[in-house]
Amino acid sequence: MRRCSIALALFAAAISTVLDRSALAQEKLTVWWTKGFYKSEDDALLAAVKKFEQQSGVSVDLSQYPVQDMIPKTVAALDAGTPPDVGFADVYDFQVTGKWAYEGKLGDLSDVLVPIKDKFAPNTIETTYLLNDKAKKRAYYAFPLKQQTMHIQYWIDMLATAGFKETDVPTTWKEYWAFWCDSVQPAYRRKTGTRAYGIGQPMGVDSSDSYYSFLTFVDAYNVRLVGDDGKLLLDAPNVKPGLTGALRDYTSIYTKGCTPPSSTSWKDPDNNVAFHNKTTVMTHNATISIVAKWLDDANNESLPAEQRAQARKNYAEAIRTAGFPKKPDGTPMVYRAAIKTAVVFDQARNKPRAKEFVRFLLQEENLTPYVEGALGRWFPVMTAAQERPFWQEDPHRKAVYDQFKAGTVTFEFTKNYKFTILNNENVWAKAMNRVVNEKVPVETAVDELLARIKTVVE
Amino acid sequence: MTTLALRQSARKPTARLSARQAWGFILLSPYLLVFLVFVAYPVVYGFWVARNPQSYVNLFHDPIFPRSVVNTLAFLVLGINLKMMVALLLSGFFVQARLWIRWLSLLFILPWAVPSIPTILSVRFMLNPEWGIINQTIFRLTGEDGPNWLNDPTLALMLAILVHIWKSLPFWTLILIAGRLAIPTELYEAAAVDGATKLQQFRYITWPSMQALYLTCTIISMIWTLGDFNSVYLLTGGGPADLTHVLATLGIRYLRLDAVDLSMAAIICALPLVLPLVFIMMKRLSR
Repeated sequence: MRRCSIALALFAAAISTVLDRSALAQEKLTVWWTKGFYKSEDDALLAAVKKFEQQSGVSVDLSQYPVQDMIPKTVAALDAGTPPDVGFADVYDFQVTGKWAYEGKLGDLSDVLVPIKDKFAPNTIETTYLLNDKAKKRAYYAFPLKQQTMHIQYWIDMLATAGFKETDVPTTWKEYWAFWCDSVQPAYRRKTGTRAYGIGQPMGVDSSDSYYSFLTFVDAYNVRLVGDDGKLLLDAPNVKPGLTGALRDYTSIYTKGCTPPSSTSWKDPDNNVAFHNKTTVMTHNATISIVAKWLDDANNESLPAEQRAQARKNYAEAIRTAGFPKKPDGTPMVYRAAIKTAVVFDQARNKPRAKEFVRFLLQEENLTPYVEGALGRWFPVMTAAQERPFWQEDPHRKAVYDQFKAGTVTFEFTKNYKFTILNNENVWAKAMNRVVNEKVPVETAVDELLARIKTVVE
Repeated sequence: MTTLALRQSARKPTARLSARQAWGFILLSPYLLVFLVFVAYPVVYGFWVARNPQSYVNLFHDPIFPRSVVNTLAFLVLGINLKMMVALLLSGFFVQARLWIRWLSLLFILPWAVPSIPTILSVRFMLNPEWGIINQTIFRLTGEDGPNWLNDPTLALMLAILVHIWKSLPFWTLILIAGRLAIPTELYEAAAVDGATKLQQFRYITWPSMQALYLTCTIISMIWTLGDFNSVYLLTGGGPADLTHVLATLGIRYLRLDAVDLSMAAIICALPLVLPLVFIMMKRLSR
């Protein structure tokens, strides 16, 4: 009898330990987040997470992965039924958010977002109001954190070495690209004897920069692929000629040898790297991460003073942030903005705490330091944060502010989620590679591109 | 014998295990557990994920899939045959008992002995068209840009095959050296006395003695190469434009495309290549 009592007591103790552990486990929040491009960006995230932990008493299990690994990892976790509670990747919005919402994989965040809806700038929160085919309803299945648009960055000192002034940079479309390719590159090579390239042109399939840049070229030709109602506009008379013009302009930079040969395999950080090590004089980039990295280095106490001084000089004097030239028709460029969306998964184990985290992060006093911690790489989605002095403090941030304030348009996938599939496949970079690698005529590559868009979307 | 057999078969089967059998099960159980968790479950799960016939329709409609099949076949046909032939030749060289050859063999074995990630990434860095050491040297010497090593699909695939050969050549050379060492030296001595040339010795002594081993090695190498993810993924990442993928790396591409079913279907499509090879292999080993 005594033995039996002891056994029962041990059993009860074991059960209560298990129960205790599961109770504790509920207080853990699993968060997956893209690794930042530099220290300050990650520090800002860690500070926000720490503050949330202190306020809520919840332990946050934060995992950070490089941008190109985020989708494969999340897809595998979703398939295994063990996604994180909260997930964010710089490329979720481009490639998966709309699709996951449609497939019912995301949690409804309307109760968090609707009360603060008015705080968001136009064309931001709207992009997270998505269709769930499983629940047959539209709701806020993601939350906007920050936004980005397309910029040009060039080395002022390299331009000077090539014998040009900034005022020499043309503002018209054809002349602008020809300037970097045909004038700056040969002149710089002659002067320095180095293998520098005029332009850093992202063309990799495993990269969001490649389609962001290419679609900006498409915008320059005034091509609209999808209407506001989500219907395809591929039969409009200007679509095929416009796409052909954009693809020809984009690929001719490669075929003329004005972008590094490896640009067909570039991932998102690679055009930054090529620019940093002065392999390219100019590059187009969908944030100002390039220049912000130098500011991060300048502020980094662990670096030697000399290196920090050089970084500050690069930030303040050697690099220019600018917009695109005028479109081929002579009108000013209208930039597309991408709203970076994070999600709470429907299979999240700790959905209430996940929503609490979202609610916390979207408070202005938490979101603003997180966004500004990236030193200008990301632009705020909330109106008040956009008007903070931070965005007027230096010429780079001012340029970003001006581009956004001139008005932006949204991506195709915000009108039809199937464009996330096209972006994920990167049909755009594939068309480029058909031209430059497989020597297919531009017109044929455009026909194939249009056929693929039709197949996926219709 | 007959009586004993009858007596044994007439014995009633008992539900209880003997102590010996129980111990057998206990000692086997860790292996069984590991087998079930890490082999049986993933395989069954893979089949379950790829159970929808539509996945295969989608897979065959993806232009990258046939390209990957062709690349895989190129890998098998070119890569393995070249590798095994070179290994056979080198085994003849390294089998010689000279001191400097012993030291050289130590260097030769290094690519196989060191981990794949640093070695293949080093090759990748060397081949970078802008700042890789090879193209930098070409530019310094000629003022011209070097080849676009990893961004030309054909060149990139050839280089992936080359890396695969470079990485696994030492292993197969070692195996074939062991095979050569098993051939009695008296046979060569007798042939030499009879005036046989080196080529004749190879044709009439070495090759007949090593034929079976060579074939077995080739089949094993084919099975392993079908699953070789590193040589392609670390060198080219499947690029440019997904044109250098092989069946072993295609799965990760579909994972990136949020298509787990296609990922599994691509792997299952490799089974018609793998299973006959495994079957032939098992038949050979059970002889």
